[in-house]
Amino acid sequence: MNVMEINIFGELLIIPTDVIAAWVLMIIGVPPVLYWITKKRHWPLIWDYATSTNHRKVGTLYIFFSVLFFFRAGIDALLIRLQLATPENQFWVFQGEKYNEIFTTHGTMMIFFVATPLLIGLMNVAVPLQIGANDLAFPFLNLIGLYLFVTGGTIFFLAFFFNAAPNVGWTAYTPLSTEDFTSGPNNNYYIMGLQVSGLGTIFAAINMIVTILRLRAPGLKLTRMPLFPWATLFTSFLILVAFPVLAIALLLLQFDRFYGATFFLGPQGHPVYWQHLFWIFGHPEVYILALPAFGIFSDIISNFSRKNVFGYTSMVLSLALIGLLGLMVWAHHMFTVGLGPFANTFFAITTMMIAVPTGIKIFNWLFTMRRGVIRMQTPMMFALGFIPTFVMGGVTGVMLASAAADMQYHDTYFVVAHFHYVIIGSTIFGAFAGIYYWYPKITGKMLNDKLGKWHFWLFLIGFHLTFFPQHLAGLNGMPRRVYDYTWEDGVFVYNFISTIGAFLMGGSMLFLIWNIYRAHRKKEENVGGDPWDGRTLEWTVPSPSPEHPFEKMPIIDRRDMLWWAKTQDKPIPVEEHPRAIPISTPTVQPMLIAAALFILSFGFIYHWIWVQVVGGILVLVFFVNRAFKDERIPAYEKEESEDEY
Amino acid sequence: MKKLLMLTFLFLLSGCNLRTLDPVSETASDQAFLIKLGFWIMMVVVGVVTILFVAFTLKYRETDKNRYDIPKHEEGNRTLEIIWTVLPIILLVCLAIPTVIITYQASNISANPEETVHVNVTGEQFKWTFEYENGKKTHEKLVLPVNRDVIFHLKSKDVIHSFWVPRLAGKKDVIPGTVNKLEVVPNKTGTYQGKCAEFCGILHADMRFTTEVVSQQDFEEWLSSKKK
Ligand code: HEM
Ligand SMILES: [Cu+2]
Ligand SMILES: [Cu+2]
Repeated sequence: MNVMEINIFGELLIIPTDVIAAWVLMIIGVPPVLYWITKKRHWPLIWDYATSTNHRKVGTLYIFFSVLFFFRAGIDALLIRLQLATPENQFWVFQGEKYNEIFTTHGTMMIFFVATPLLIGLMNVAVPLQIGANDLAFPFLNLIGLYLFVTGGTIFFLAFFFNAAPNVGWTAYTPLSTEDFTSGPNNNYYIMGLQVSGLGTIFAAINMIVTILRLRAPGLKLTRMPLFPWATLFTSFLILVAFPVLAIALLLLQFDRFYGATFFLGPQGHPVYWQHLFWIFGHPEVYILALPAFGIFSDIISNFSRKNVFGYTSMVLSLALIGLLGLMVWAHHMFTVGLGPFANTFFAITTMMIAVPTGIKIFNWLFTMRRGVIRMQTPMMFALGFIPTFVMGGVTGVMLASAAADMQYHDTYFVVAHFHYVIIGSTIFGAFAGIYYWYPKITGKMLNDKLGKWHFWLFLIGFHLTFFPQHLAGLNGMPRRVYDYTWEDGVFVYNFISTIGAFLMGGSMLFLIWNIYRAHRKKEENVGGDPWDGRTLEWTVPSPSPEHPFEKMPIIDRRDMLWWAKTQDKPIPVEEHPRAIPISTPTVQPMLIAAALFILSFGFIYHWIWVQVVGGILVLVFFVNRAFKDERIPAYEKEESEDEY
Repeated sequence: MKKLLMLTFLFLLSGCNLRTLDPVSETASDQAFLIKLGFWIMMVVVGVVTILFVAFTLKYRETDKNRYDIPKHEEGNRTLEIIWTVLPIILLVCLAIPTVIITYQASNISANPEETVHVNVTGEQFKWTFEYENGKKTHEKLVLPVNRDVIFHLKSKDVIHSFWVPRLAGKKDVIPGTVNKLEVVPNKTGTYQGKCAEFCGILHADMRFTTEVVSQQDFEEWLSSKKK
């Protein structure tokens, strides 16, 4: 049964059964959760997290919501794989329109509401501690960024519940995405969801840049920073270049869709403009996803090999080079558009050049391990799994860069395999590694190593089973974004293996949930500040990291200061006079601004002019309110009066 | 595990029964050559990394013996770093040069009016229309003569599509407001799959056609007949 007809107030509503199933699940599932929270008296804790501007708490929420969205988008992936398991399959409702909706939500959610915020969450948790800062430079802005991400994600998430999920792919190519071809609210959800969360990402980037440039501990020169803060710095600059381009592209698309402008259509406009704008954003975005993961791996590999990072300088330089080149390769997504051989070869060569700094990093990681003592614990397992996986994704990347060959690969499953190898290989492995690694710093508890290894192995094997055969399906002529294929296509075996692998990956996630549940089930003891025998500053503070961890600033005169202190058996010297600390006071303002933006967005999505007006006024009111009401003023005054003594 | 997968990959590549690696035109042969060249060059990289990776993880993993050792500080190594910067550059140049040449060739449309067969290809949601010079039109079937120059003029009535016959040539987008051209010389008779490769809406998956490459004589006959 594919649809259900419901008669409400004389109006016949035809609702697909998957939407009904989702509603039923929500209605059955949510009350028990609320009951559990109430019974366990968790509301004060939730309220504390929802209003706190402390970087660790904000980071935790970033990670929490990303993981939540990861499950949603992962279920989409499993449904995709079920529909594609056999030729001419008719799985539930997922053919035609529904299939298009499901791969669009899968892709968009994974990129914008899983991978990006997962990394921003880890930056929030780790970067200030790694550079000896007490918090981010703008704690209030940080909380706003979190709320914008959650709001954007929720807007996008809800589309499905109102049977209006976006359906033109995560790239939303024009003219298919314009009003003429896809009218209705569906793709308005895409525009508003990304617009709201994108703003939050920009705020996060500004915050990171200022924090890293201004709030490092005394003596911690840039060149003494661990690599994760370095990667964060470059990533933030990339965000600052890329996300405004996306915002502009979305705005233009909104004008085309809502007000009949013709930027991407008609005699004055051109559909290919969208592709340029989208990929000028989109390609840096993939490096926004990769660079922080590189940083995490550098720290973890060095820590678990008990050695300093090999070739530190070239590691930093290659990060910078990758970021820079990443801005100059966008048209490698457009080799079949007909830009001409000059443009095609130009972008082919710039793309190939990226392989050089990337290769340097790979070899430096390998040589960091050489002559070390490699501890095979869960974070390191993910780092080890990352190296061959990412290399395989990287080499198919170089193959794709070869412009004429790409005319065969383009828009086939070869590409689907390639980008899952690089994104899952770097970002998702990196995020898992980072979560296992910093979990003690976030909660004071350690995740179980054995369960972690189960998670790792099942995920790794499932991953390769899922995506390796897709290379071959692509080479055999299977285009991406199709809900169907035939026996004659000769891709059944590849697809079937792929579906099995996907369920292995899905299953592996249960180990993570079980692991987290187990860690919090009983009141285990606190694992202390330095459970991994760390090298960097975050392991000098207690776990979970307190509100102002560096009340007395450490004085740094080398890289891996903590490791040096341990081997020399000397304490890290501290500065007696504390530095002014970014004040963290609980605030509900970001929540209110987000709520106003939520209302405004729905006004746009459904063309309800009065809702737009109300939402717009509310947003403005909260802006003005914020301009006059800085909740930190009493705190600053108190500090000043204290200083006088 | 991973090696096993690699071996399967090699096996299937040498089998060459994958459509893009089983070309029936010069253009597709060049592209298949690039695919294979890229693959083998990259296998060198994968091989080196795999060897180092396996060697280092086995040799330096923690054991009861080295558990409390403190490895020596190692800043880096200039020579090694130069090696792994320069070698990849050389490998990339080996791939870049043929890439440039073949990319230029693939975009080069010859103007040879006598011999050439021109086909107007129109994509629309969700069907193709192939129109020959004498006005003959077909939808599901594209018929081409063997060993003759064919130029496709690609137009779209609505959204972007992409014209793709994997064994004949790489794809070319069909974009509203633009005419893209694609030139091929089929060199083997037979029936080949054609597909739309750019996502174009609900029935994108069904936007398929078959390409029949026939002898020149059969082609002329077919062209002048009323038969579809
Ligand atoms: C659970 C593991 C996953 C599975 C089984 C999976 C499977 C798939 C499949 C089969 C497609 C192709 C759909 C089609 O072209 O018809 C796809 C598309 C995509 N996936 Fe995944 N995926 C997974 C995880 C991820 C992750 C972690 C990310 C990124 C962080 C991601 C990002 C994407 C994107 C961007 C697309 C393109 C969507 C589009 O064509 O618009 N996926 N995925
Ligand atoms: Cu790209
Ligand atoms: Cu299509």
